Amino acid sequence: MNGAGMTARDAVRLVIRRELTERTRQRAFVISTGVTLLIVLAIAIVPGLFGGDGPKKFDVGVVGPAGSPLAEALPRVDLGARTEVHTRPVADRAEAERLVEAGDVDAAVDGDTVIVKKNLDRDLEALVQLANRDVRAQQALAAAGVSGAEAAAITDPPPLRTAAIKPPDRTHDDRRALVTIGVFFVFGQIFGYGFAVASSVVEEKSSRVVELLLAKIGPGQLLTGKIVGVGVLGLAQLVLYMVVGLAAASVTGAIDLPPGVAGAFVLVLGWFLLGFAVYSALFAMAGAVASRAEELQNTTSPITFLIMAGYFGTFAAIGDPSGAMARVMSWVPFWSPLVMPIRMASGDVPVWEAVAVVVVVLATVVVVVRLAARVYSGGALRTRGRIKLKEALAAGS
Amino acid sequence: MLELKAVSRRYGDVVALDGVSFSVEQGEMRGLVGRNGAGKTTTMRIVLGLVEPDGGEVRLHGSAIDALARRRIGYMPEERGLYPKMRVSDQLVFFGRLSGMTAGDAAAAAVRWVERLGVADRAGDRVDELSLGNQQRVQLAAALVHGPELLVLDEPFSGLDPVGVDVLAAVLREEADRGAAIVFSSHQLELVEHLCDAVTILDRGRVVADGRIDDLRRRHGGRRLLVDVRGAPDGWVEAAGLVGVTVVGADEDGVVLQLADEADTQAVLDAARTAGRLEAFTPQSPTLAELFREVVQA
Repeated sequence: MNGAGMTARDAVRLVIRRELTERTRQRAFVISTGVTLLIVLAIAIVPGLFGGDGPKKFDVGVVGPAGSPLAEALPRVDLGARTEVHTRPVADRAEAERLVEAGDVDAAVDGDTVIVKKNLDRDLEALVQLANRDVRAQQALAAAGVSGAEAAAITDPPPLRTAAIKPPDRTHDDRRALVTIGVFFVFGQIFGYGFAVASSVVEEKSSRVVELLLAKIGPGQLLTGKIVGVGVLGLAQLVLYMVVGLAAASVTGAIDLPPGVAGAFVLVLGWFLLGFAVYSALFAMAGAVASRAEELQNTTSPITFLIMAGYFGTFAAIGDPSGAMARVMSWVPFWSPLVMPIRMASGDVPVWEAVAVVVVVLATVVVVVRLAARVYSGGALRTRGRIKLKEALAAGS
Repeated sequence: MLELKAVSRRYGDVVALDGVSFSVEQGEMRGLVGRNGAGKTTTMRIVLGLVEPDGGEVRLHGSAIDALARRRIGYMPEERGLYPKMRVSDQLVFFGRLSGMTAGDAAAAAVRWVERLGVADRAGDRVDELSLGNQQRVQLAAALVHGPELLVLDEPFSGLDPVGVDVLAAVLREEADRGAAIVFSSHQLELVEHLCDAVTILDRGRVVADGRIDDLRRRHGGRRLLVDVRGAPDGWVEAAGLVGVTVVGADEDGVVLQLADEADTQAVLDAARTAGRLEAFTPQSPTLAELFREVVQA
């Protein structure tokens, strides 16, 4: 007779496989993955195309013949490579005013006057003053008979060095940015795939296939297989989005792949798994007490409310990662998966706190999953009408 | 092979099953009949472990049934159910594997059963694209795909057209000949009478009749006689003053007499011969439907 070698793990594995193959086969899944990938690519590529931080360019007219000392000096000065100045000779003041008025030049210098339309750009002002001071000093030194290396030592001294006490950490900043984007995807995946668990549970109930399934395997095995199967797909999709996004961003130069990438990856994926474990169990309960897909709207609304609150909490955490709001929210197990990674990425979470929060979330997972298994086994075979949570708990085992 | 012993189950104040006992042997086909709410579905669900009994036990091959043993049962629930968006053959392979088959065995069995049940051309279609009749065939295939030694089928004939009924009846006969034990519920008593070796009649959660159909007829129907006397005057039976004999039916074939224990068949024969020319004097056994009406209180 068949069946002797079948273990509980085999049953769970079969349910996982079914979830994976049937879901990836659906056209809606393929389309939504494609659309999301396009959005990811847009987020990754567009800043690289438009947000280029090249030097600020200025056109300056200098009244006088071509090759005047100021016209020579202006292109040489810059503010830490952030600026670039082009000069053009202008015949007289009237011509200078006409060019400024027409916007052909940003400013024009006529002797001791800078002509502008309304205001002088602060960077340009600094540049012009710097160039002017340089030219005047050269002229004064030449008049005093100082020239060559001596003059250069005065007008072009070696620049001061910077010694930072707390140097900025690029790795850290990049990681924070990546985690911030990652957390929004984590939210989307937890919500989307959590809901998929609820509708998968209710689909088996409304199609009545659940009775045939439960005649073969236990409710715990069915629920475990379903949650793991859906979760693996959500995780794989998240990894795909992140890898494609990072690859595209590094190709177009929106970001350099910093050493912080690996850390950001682990943070985002780890917290996705914890968050999905909590929410998928909650969503499974919502599915188990409904009997038709239409009722899911109702039964899932408390969960939707809960996760939306966590979603808004992430904004608080992004704004002020060490603020009281972010700290408190990161300890609430339903919100920690969204708030904690941002706090951790900004680097002000002591190790003990991170570990403690993870323990709290894991403990919550254990409680919620047990509760879900009970509600599920109590509600799975009740295929007619909405079931009260209390009844399902009482009927479950 | 399958044995139920004093199985009870109540839902709140409602007693669904009250000490139900019966057994099904290898190669035997047993009908489970009873009015709606008599406890047929609850009985089957308890066998499948979907409902916990409050008392009593279910044994398979002499030992208490467990989850592993249940996987080997072929089950067709009253509420038909398959994955609507899953392809027929994938679905059969999935259920075959859930019952412990290897991927290869399950695939081969799926092919065999869609052919046997006449849905081979739909094997690659999604279940929700099939007609209800074909869905029912796939449902049956899902119950049979793993070659179960015990089949538990809840109303397998309901919703089938006459051709479907014939196909299902033939398949069940083959399965029983192969050695499977089969128990199915049905309201179509003629079908049960025609197909089954034995029957269990449930009424309000109790077994009111149980055994081989022939034995039940003898036990419950009492003695009945069809007597046809040509040229006999109306009311010849009553006129003969026979003890323990009542007329329960009369038509052009004659009268049907119910004989109580004290009735004397010889006296009936003598009275009939006196009344006219005796054409028929035949013991009659009741149909399952008649038996059913007798044991189940209205």
